[in-house]
Amino acid sequence: MSESVVKLTDVWKIFGARAEEAMAAVKSDGIGKPEVLAEFQCVVGVQGATFDVPRGEIFCIMGLSGSGKSTLVRHVNRLIEPTAGTIEILGQDISTLSEAELRRIRAQQIGMVFQHMALMPHRSVRDNVAYPLEIRKVSKSKRWAVSDHTLGLVDLTGYEDRLPKELSGGMQQRVGIARALASDPEILLMDEPFSALDPLIRLQLQDQFKALVAQLQKTTLFITHDLDEAIRIGHRIAIMKDGVIVQIGSPEEIVMNPADDYVREFVQGISKLKLVKAHSIMEPPDSYKGDLEAAPRADHGADLDQLIDLAVGTDHPVVITDGGADVGVVTKPTLLRGIQGGKNE
Amino acid sequence: MSDATTEIKVMAASDIEVDHDALDASIAEFTEVNGAYYANAFHRIHDATNAMPKTFNLWAAVLGPIWAASRAIWGMFWTFLILEIIAWVQLGRGAWGNPGAELAERAAGQMERAGELRERAANATEQADVDRFTKLAENIQKAADTTMEQSVAAQAEATGIMLTGIALLLFFKLIQGAYANVVYEKQYSNWRIEPEKTESGRKTSNILLGVVLAAAIGPLIVYKFTVNSPLALLDAFPEDEVSALILGADQGTLFSSVATSLEDTIDGAAVAGGDVFDGIVNGIRQVLDALTVALNGSPWPVVMLVIVVTAWRAAGPRVAIFTAAALGYVALLGYWEVAMETVALVGASVILCVVFGIPLGIWFGKSSRAYKFAEPVLDLMQTLPAFVYLIPIIAFFGTGNPPGILATIIFGMPPVIRLTALGMRGVPESIKEAAVAFGASRWQLLKDVEIPLALPSVMTGVNQTILMCLSMVVIISLIGGGGLGKEILEALQYAAKGPGLLGGFAILFVAMVIDRIVQGAFRRENQT
Repeated sequence: MSESVVKLTDVWKIFGARAEEAMAAVKSDGIGKPEVLAEFQCVVGVQGATFDVPRGEIFCIMGLSGSGKSTLVRHVNRLIEPTAGTIEILGQDISTLSEAELRRIRAQQIGMVFQHMALMPHRSVRDNVAYPLEIRKVSKSKRWAVSDHTLGLVDLTGYEDRLPKELSGGMQQRVGIARALASDPEILLMDEPFSALDPLIRLQLQDQFKALVAQLQKTTLFITHDLDEAIRIGHRIAIMKDGVIVQIGSPEEIVMNPADDYVREFVQGISKLKLVKAHSIMEPPDSYKGDLEAAPRADHGADLDQLIDLAVGTDHPVVITDGGADVGVVTKPTLLRGIQGGKNE
Repeated sequence: MSDATTEIKVMAASDIEVDHDALDASIAEFTEVNGAYYANAFHRIHDATNAMPKTFNLWAAVLGPIWAASRAIWGMFWTFLILEIIAWVQLGRGAWGNPGAELAERAAGQMERAGELRERAANATEQADVDRFTKLAENIQKAADTTMEQSVAAQAEATGIMLTGIALLLFFKLIQGAYANVVYEKQYSNWRIEPEKTESGRKTSNILLGVVLAAAIGPLIVYKFTVNSPLALLDAFPEDEVSALILGADQGTLFSSVATSLEDTIDGAAVAGGDVFDGIVNGIRQVLDALTVALNGSPWPVVMLVIVVTAWRAAGPRVAIFTAAALGYVALLGYWEVAMETVALVGASVILCVVFGIPLGIWFGKSSRAYKFAEPVLDLMQTLPAFVYLIPIIAFFGTGNPPGILATIIFGMPPVIRLTALGMRGVPESIKEAAVAFGASRWQLLKDVEIPLALPSVMTGVNQTILMCLSMVVIISLIGGGGLGKEILEALQYAAKGPGLLGGFAILFVAMVIDRIVQGAFRRENQT
């Protein structure tokens, strides 16, 4: 795995006047969320979050409202101070930073996009995008040039001098993305950026965003309450429930091997066709007692969609190959079960 | 994920039975005492389809307000306590009061006078005098007879009054008996929604409170209205006696001693803090002098031109024409100099209000704890009548224009503080968070986000402050403030109708010009 950009180790957040006491009690006695609320009148926001995001990865944090995902992501730029645990950005523990250093990291290394855009209504689109640079006291000519370039990346050339309220929701959020990209940060924090948009615009922006990030190689923490969105965008997904990260894994791992009933319930409605690969459903070649000479061949990385295309044209099962060698076989019943999604008989 | 084992039975509304048992338990919990009786009564009320359910609470009728108190129905307690007292007063007036007594007394006086006159007639020596006195005596005797008749008639009405009282009392008792359960059922319904806020059950403390209140209020009122010469103690508060009790005899009243000591305290403080107060006065004077030099020192045509052009730029040609006409009126009637003094006074007040008010507003907008302490002070500044704080201002700051400006500031500053704080609070958290996330410092946050977004509210505050300051123009002349207010005050002192009216119009025009220009400027700003 390449260099770690964002690393959280056992991060806890407890809200309330007696958070320190509650934290100590949690560490020593291992009491849970309801006990903390009853005994200390404190709300547990995040419980022992640990993960590591390498450069260039899109790491999705998925959970329902109140699961602590927005709280968790705000620890990364210290908008919220952790009660316990360490947070490292590019190998540096950010809790040791002074106010000024923290502001410098926020302005240079971290771009953030918000659910409700949070654009400044009294500034033009251009000045909104240029604001992170203005904070760093970049000259006006330079920041206008950067701002115009970044607006070009999100297809908003020609809208530079408009006020945010003159733009549609989708366009406003693109301004938000441009603002986050303007200072060319290492890390992008996306706090449910597309959930306030209507579905069609959301799909468009997801694709546009994915392409943009792949091109710019930004390490991204992407918050969402929509598993479809997480699967579409994320390289890895962390599923949160009540402040706990329940499971971390690639979209395929999450869908094929849900860690518990909670995740399973989420995964049920997800289409597996493009997600599940041949190697995860195939059976050993000798388990099939027939002639495989005439059977079609597919690579072990082929997805279910491709396997279906092959299977409908023949009476034989599909043979799975890896570098020319036959490594497995997928019969039609196996394929159908695979489409259902790892349902255990 | 609910498994579909819960069966839901659907039935027509007419088939649904009322579940009395659950309701009875709840009513018993609410009433605590006599649950069965009230369960029955409430069922009648619930089952009733017309407005007047047939229930009668005998104890509510007999005990009246005391019953209401025992069940903590305080609205009913007060209403019927007052109504029953009215009935008792009627009853008492008829039974032991003396409705004709006053008239009888007057008749006796008149008769005495008639007797006197008759005596003088008998003693008179001249025939003319005899005739005169006799005639007078006859007239007065006639009047006395009439009064006596009225007195007798009034006395005869006593029985009627008493009967009215009894009838009223019975009527009120009847109403209480009939409506007690209905009212109590309302209380029960409220209790079901808010069990913590609604009193339930029958508490001894409530009964006690009801009895004490009724016993303290009822007999005294009935006594005062039915007995002809009630105790003097009940007519007026015995302040002299109480003062003597607290301070000892011949030490003056409580009022005079407190007032004297306050006066000494204020005098002492004024002397002790003399330098500070002089400093404040000097600071204000600097601002005022600068404005006065600009307005009155500059040649009048220049000032006039600047004002008219400002009106034009800020509020358009119509306001400019009105401004020119108003200034013409002021100048032609010889008010130019005093009018400019008024403008300087208002201007200095507004400048000081804004300079101190906006930072205070920003502070109060950011710190809710500071605002909690400031809020009552701001309320006081706005509600306290100006005349009240004029006196301490004179004590500390003397008389003249600067103290006048100080009084104006006290009255005029709250709006700009309040609306600045309001604007600061109205800045969306999400936008502030975004600025912080991009590395803004506190100063950058204030300068780039909070102030720009709060500006419309701040401007509304400034506008209101200007209008409030204008309204103080006449009042500050009471403590030696100059300008047009002084002209009005002088006219008032000599009841000079002509000068008063002309000066009044001058103030009106100055105020209207300032108001039009400011309003116009804000309207224009809001449109863009």
